[in-house]
Amino acid sequence: MTPVHFSFSSAFILGLMGLAFHRTHLLSALLCLEGIILSLFIALALWALQFESTSFSTAPILLLAFSACEASAGLALLVATARTHGTDRLQNLNLLQC
Amino acid sequence: MNPYVLTVLLSSLGLGTTLTFASSHWLLAWMGLEINTLAIVPLMAQHHHPRAVEATTKYFLTQATAAAMILFASTTNAWITGEWDMNNMSNPIASTMIITALALKIGLAPMHFWMPEVLQGLDLLTGLILSTWQKLAPLALIVQTAQAIDPMLLTALGLTSTLVGGWGGLNQTQLRKILAYSSIAHMGWMLIVLQYAPQLTLLALLTYIFMTSAAFLTLKVSSATKVNTLAVVWSKSPVLTATTALVLLSLGGLPPLTGFMPKWLILQELAKQSLPLTATVMALAALLSLYFYLRLCYAMTLTISPNTTAATTPWRAQTTQASLPLALFTTMALGLLPVSPAIVMLVT
Repeated sequence: MTPVHFSFSSAFILGLMGLAFHRTHLLSALLCLEGIILSLFIALALWALQFESTSFSTAPILLLAFSACEASAGLALLVATARTHGTDRLQNLNLLQC
Repeated sequence: MNPYVLTVLLSSLGLGTTLTFASSHWLLAWMGLEINTLAIVPLMAQHHHPRAVEATTKYFLTQATAAAMILFASTTNAWITGEWDMNNMSNPIASTMIITALALKIGLAPMHFWMPEVLQGLDLLTGLILSTWQKLAPLALIVQTAQAIDPMLLTALGLTSTLVGGWGGLNQTQLRKILAYSSIAHMGWMLIVLQYAPQLTLLALLTYIFMTSAAFLTLKVSSATKVNTLAVVWSKSPVLTATTALVLLSLGGLPPLTGFMPKWLILQELAKQSLPLTATVMALAALLSLYFYLRLCYAMTLTISPNTTAATTPWRAQTTQASLPLALFTTMALGLLPVSPAIVMLVT
């Protein structure tokens, strides 16, 4: 496993652990999601360099476009949650339990 | 909802699924899945009700995580093999991660925990879109990558899903949660036969869509979301009571209704592949689901007058809901077993 591969893989896995084990705030989950997307951006950009593929050089920009939309949707949901539940604390998201 | 906004959202939903169907490059498939997620989020949160917003937030987090995992797995595969093509997933770590992410997308056990809560927070039509349309794109990806995935993992996912879907639905009184566990169980049936006969996976998906659409549309007509409310549907529409009871039995997989067809063919295929133990466990797990479907049938049809009603009988106002989709899906959910050879030919 090359150093580059290892670094973006570990960045992804750290972000994923942060997203899976967030305990207090919804915002920290969204931040970890952004970190994940960032590690994938770097991975795609370096892949195009590593494999010297000019046709794939636009892939990071495409990823960025979609992930920006996704991030803004996540923030809109954060605002909606703050409006309906009062805070973004995850203990408050308990209306739907069995 | 504003009709222009609704048009944009529904056509985006169609676009996302079509994009994923038509792609052989992982980046394009990921984009289709993201478009689907983004398009359904406003539909889910349109009522600004706290439960709807909470369901939307939970759905968004799980789907975004799954999409990021799909992209990471395909990037890892591309780093190691240099290929972005969907049919050449040769790295075992990447293919295991892909199937885990796709299982999270469609709510297979043990990644199913978001499904009952999310479906509970939605209104019935959005719940219908979530249970049927949103499953198409990830299942298309699963069918395409099936041969690269560890067969033991596929069998484990299928068995766990049917068992969890059966046991989880036993203690529920809310109909949307029951339909969520039913969805989990049916996805399990679809996965178990994927490595042996993918056409049976498609057949199971097709019949599942018919039966679930019939169930959701009936609940929409009678505005029933709890078992108690379901118990007084007989006063609003006696015909619907009869057909819904049969649709529920079809979901449970009883002959001579359509729901028996996929279960029968899947068990036959498992027996042909010399897996009697797997087939037996699947059949027994289907019994668990059958119990709660039967309980719903009992509540609907065997507690009517002159017993005391379980809830206030509803006003019998004229319904403005279009009846053609309900009639169509109910007919298909009840009567397709005799034409099984034709249906199998359709998906082969």
